[in-house]
Amino acid sequence: MKAIIFSEKADLASQLLTLFRNTFEMDLFTSSNENVLNFGARNVYRLQGNNLYVDNISEKLSEMFKQGSYDLIIIGSSAMGREIASLLSEILHLEAITEVMKIEPKDGIVATERFFFGGKTVIREESEARIFTVLPGLTDPLPVDSISKEFKINVEKDSAIKVVDMIEKPKSSVNLEKADIIVSAGRGIGKKEGLAVVQQLADVLHGEVGGSRPVCLDYHWLSEERQVGLSGKRVKPKIYVAVGISGQVQHIAGMRGSRTVVAINKDKNAPIFNECDYGIVGDLYVVVPKLVESIKEKLGV
Amino acid sequence: MYNIIVCFKQILDIDQMKVDENTQEPIIKNLPYRLEDLSKNAIEEAVRIKEKYGGKIIGITFGGDQATLGMKEALAMGVDEGIILKGYKENNPELTSETLAKKISTLQYDIIVMGNQSADSYTGLVPGKVAKKLSLPLLGNAIKLEMVDRKVRITRTGEDKNFVLESSLPALVSVEQEINEPRLPPLIQIMAAGRKPMKIEEIQVSVKSTKKVIWNKAPKSDRKRIVFEDVDKGVAEIAKVLRGEAK
Repeated sequence: MKAIIFSEKADLASQLLTLFRNTFEMDLFTSSNENVLNFGARNVYRLQGNNLYVDNISEKLSEMFKQGSYDLIIIGSSAMGREIASLLSEILHLEAITEVMKIEPKDGIVATERFFFGGKTVIREESEARIFTVLPGLTDPLPVDSISKEFKINVEKDSAIKVVDMIEKPKSSVNLEKADIIVSAGRGIGKKEGLAVVQQLADVLHGEVGGSRPVCLDYHWLSEERQVGLSGKRVKPKIYVAVGISGQVQHIAGMRGSRTVVAINKDKNAPIFNECDYGIVGDLYVVVPKLVESIKEKLGV
Repeated sequence: MYNIIVCFKQILDIDQMKVDENTQEPIIKNLPYRLEDLSKNAIEEAVRIKEKYGGKIIGITFGGDQATLGMKEALAMGVDEGIILKGYKENNPELTSETLAKKISTLQYDIIVMGNQSADSYTGLVPGKVAKKLSLPLLGNAIKLEMVDRKVRITRTGEDKNFVLESSLPALVSVEQEINEPRLPPLIQIMAAGRKPMKIEEIQVSVKSTKKVIWNKAPKSDRKRIVFEDVDKGVAEIAKVLRGEAK
């Protein structure tokens, strides 16, 4: 089967090419200029244009889909990726299934698995869908020996949307997805200053600080790149310490891949205690400093 | 003055959802519904547009019998009139988008606002599908919205840059959580909401969906769940574990 792979991000494109190289014959379409040539795509098409946006990219991809007699389209999941998937499904009159973790084609039917109920469950579906968005982080990109043929494609058509301005964001300082140890703060810290306590534990463990959705998005105590959850980063560290995190569904879905989970919360009925390996019921402002001391002592710091 | 349409949905309260320990299936029976998270942001943004620039808001929800409650909440937040479309059959973006688009095409509007992805199913397909069906520009994942000379301008987050995008009207905007903090309507508005117009309609659409659920289960959690209520004992044990792993 022949698949179009699309991602605007080189890293995610390489992940998808790694993930599906044994299942499909793949051509990659991307608006990125970074290296994606040694990950197993037969052809790499670089989309170029003055005014690239989801609408004209979708039209170009649907044109190529029909011309190239492809069987399906696999898109890297992102805000842009989901939008392109939704537009493509209308243009091509094909069903789309988004945010999948697995794609298994068999006799014209495709089985997929994705999170459901906010990450509480995983749903397996079978359908005749032909457009998919795939979650990032399912594999590390592994290069191959061969090099893809490279083409440039001009997207001449203007977008209906005008880009008025671009605002640089502060450079990302952390990659939680690759961290071995994460100490995350939840609403339970009560005030921004409480992060200092969480940071101390992260420091003594040589880990990174993460946060729940309220801490990152509602109170802005931490930047959004540190948000762990289904709608934030999905992490898989060796140790995940949840400090003052109640354990809402969408947070759990973001840290389920952790090897060992430690939870500290004063509410013994907090759902996080069902999703942890070790837990302490207690005031985090008492527990965390004690923990820091105890670790320091034994490490002889 | 703008004619504003806001689309929203009610979802099962997933934070109260329990899982059957034998089958690992979610227990849905008797679970209450609530207004979906980003739907609240969408309603809030619609109300802010009205407050700032003037206009009228029609709220549309595609739901079952429980939809009345969510609609009342929306009316209390500032939506002027409500339309409940009946016939919702679980998560089906094909059906939802077709139903919404068909109804919206009979209405007058300048701007449609909705959440970009719902907190239960996370498909994120409906805004784009509705926009395409109605041939509207899609301004997705807005974290800021303003109206400038009968145009809509949004800010959208990107990987390393934020983009300020603009399009002519009518247009469809999907919003992210960061765009605003939804208001909690005061009691007087909740009372007044009962007097606002609310229609229940049935719309006939034919859509083809080939999706079949094979299973829907909570992933097995094999966590050890060793929870200490004695802080000092817990600290001693856990420090041991953390030291071992952190080495």
